[in-house]
Amino acid sequence: MEYVKSAFASIKENRGRSFLTMLGIIIGIASVITILAIGNGMKSTVGGELNDMQTGGITIVLNGKKTDKHLTGAEVREIGEKIPEAYGASPSVTGFVDLSARHKISANASGGNENVIYSQNKEVVAGRFFNTEEAESGSAVAVLPQACAAMLFGSTRAVGKIFEMTVNGKSMEITVVGLIKSEEKEIEQAYRIANGTEVSSSYPTIYVPYTLLTQSFGSPGENITSFKIFPHPNEQDAASLRTRRVTESLLGLRGQDAVTVQSYASMLETFNKILNVVTLVVAFVAAISLLVGGIGVMNIMTVSVTERTREIGIRKSLGARTSSILLQFLIESALITLIGGFIGMIAGYSLTFIVSKFMSFPPKIRLEDVALVVAISSSIGLFFGIYPALRAAKMNPIEALRYE
Amino acid sequence: MGKLVDVIDVSKIYNPGENEVRALDHVNLSIDTGEFVAIIGQSGSGKSTLMNMLGCLDTPTSGTYMLHGMDVSHMTDNEQSDVRNREIGFIFQGFNLIQSLTAQENVELPLIYRGVPKKERQELAVTALQRVGLGKRMDHRPTEMSGGQQQRVAIARAIAQAPPILLADEPTGNLDSGSSREIIEIIKNLHKEGRTVILITHDPGIAKQAKRIVTISDGRIQSDIINPDADVSGEAYEKNRE
Repeated sequence: MEYVKSAFASIKENRGRSFLTMLGIIIGIASVITILAIGNGMKSTVGGELNDMQTGGITIVLNGKKTDKHLTGAEVREIGEKIPEAYGASPSVTGFVDLSARHKISANASGGNENVIYSQNKEVVAGRFFNTEEAESGSAVAVLPQACAAMLFGSTRAVGKIFEMTVNGKSMEITVVGLIKSEEKEIEQAYRIANGTEVSSSYPTIYVPYTLLTQSFGSPGENITSFKIFPHPNEQDAASLRTRRVTESLLGLRGQDAVTVQSYASMLETFNKILNVVTLVVAFVAAISLLVGGIGVMNIMTVSVTERTREIGIRKSLGARTSSILLQFLIESALITLIGGFIGMIAGYSLTFIVSKFMSFPPKIRLEDVALVVAISSSIGLFFGIYPALRAAKMNPIEALRYE
Repeated sequence: MGKLVDVIDVSKIYNPGENEVRALDHVNLSIDTGEFVAIIGQSGSGKSTLMNMLGCLDTPTSGTYMLHGMDVSHMTDNEQSDVRNREIGFIFQGFNLIQSLTAQENVELPLIYRGVPKKERQELAVTALQRVGLGKRMDHRPTEMSGGQQQRVAIARAIAQAPPILLADEPTGNLDSGSSREIIEIIKNLHKEGRTVILITHDPGIAKQAKRIVTISDGRIQSDIINPDADVSGEAYEKNRE
């Protein structure tokens, strides 16, 4: 305990130099923490999104570079009926829209047919989903998440309310026919955004009949190049395989590789590959930085030992054993790197926090990361402190006392 | 019972071989508990080597050094550290205080190495500082004190753990005459209280304060006399300096 106290005192005595010594460690630990936090946040967010995608259906895209063929809404429905492993299929038409009621917001409009109800966790909590008739006739109806209703109307009691939607320069009046469940947290946040106390960081998605969007794009019910199928649980692979075959034979595209299936598994694999490369690169940078930082600590501690030769002589003359001096300097270097580690951790989390503002995933502080930082930084200090501490401990007291 | 200090036929040779230097040449010296001995010699006489030897900072090339009945001439570094801690209180010419520590922390240092519990350690340090008249300056750092005050802190550090021997190496060498007198007074009083004091100096005026004067030159003891004029006050010292 006395050693820790005196180590603190001597670090404080040389505040500026101690900080510079810590810099390498700070950068190293900050990058370790950042990559851990971002990696974990990304994994859980993207993983969650991919999970949604899994339950939210498989997307089939006609590759525009290989074919100029397309489907009609009726054909999509027909494909869906030919897949026994799926509940059905829906065209997937999306558009960026401006909504206006009590408040004005921007949103993504996801156009589909009534089968969209089978996707992800779309629990209708009020009203109903639009029906086949509405889906095919371009009815001016919409289903909103509760959070979106809160942002738009300032209330989640929105069934029957009307808002104005502007898409592709055309405005139309839309009636809310149903609400799907949002998380309590999202709703609270939506109210804050409606009040103007918080700025929205992402756009909500509303669900409308696909015909509503294709109409505004000038081609009702046609020109569909992307659609979704909603597979039964655990039958994704069979469903995507069959959908691909059915689509190819319907359009006469067999063997042309023009139908792309964006399955969960393939996206997860791509995502993990990217994440692993990023992790490896940052881990490499962090390792180099920690190594350089450690050498810096060794360097400064060696200088410090030389400067404090007389102090070491005094301590020895007063009865300090070799081990006491060794311990004193080891603790000092470990403390420097430990403090550096903590500063690095704070810097890392701040960085993560800033990055997450732009990338919309929450930073995650995990206890095991903190433990990792403590372990890494103190062992760097101990390892790189050995050489200077040994130098100090092995000094001859007479020569050390004579040192000016 | 044996002597407190018993140096038997000790030699110390630096650079053995062609350019060898005999810093100590078959020295014999005994000191009893409670004595006040001055070891006087010019620089290069071997007095520093003798003091290092007596202080267990160095080991002899040949001969035996018995301290408190123990043979300390062939000890390992750590054993020597323990002996220094237990047996010897050093007072150096350059004070040798640690600049980053307060007076009290400096005095506590040898007690830390001895493993004295915190509370007892603090009490001992405070008592020692009061003993040298620095009860009000315990939180000061060496840079905030005069040379005389710093040397008094060093004395407090030397006596805090009540070692049998006080080893003072030119304790007044860096001080003005007023402070020197104070320091000599304190050392004399410590002797009167029953401590064994070994004073190493080149200054005959200071040496005269001791009851026994050992003169060393060329690594040999030239004379070892009882000083009949040993003065209890500082007057003789003052006279001599003028």
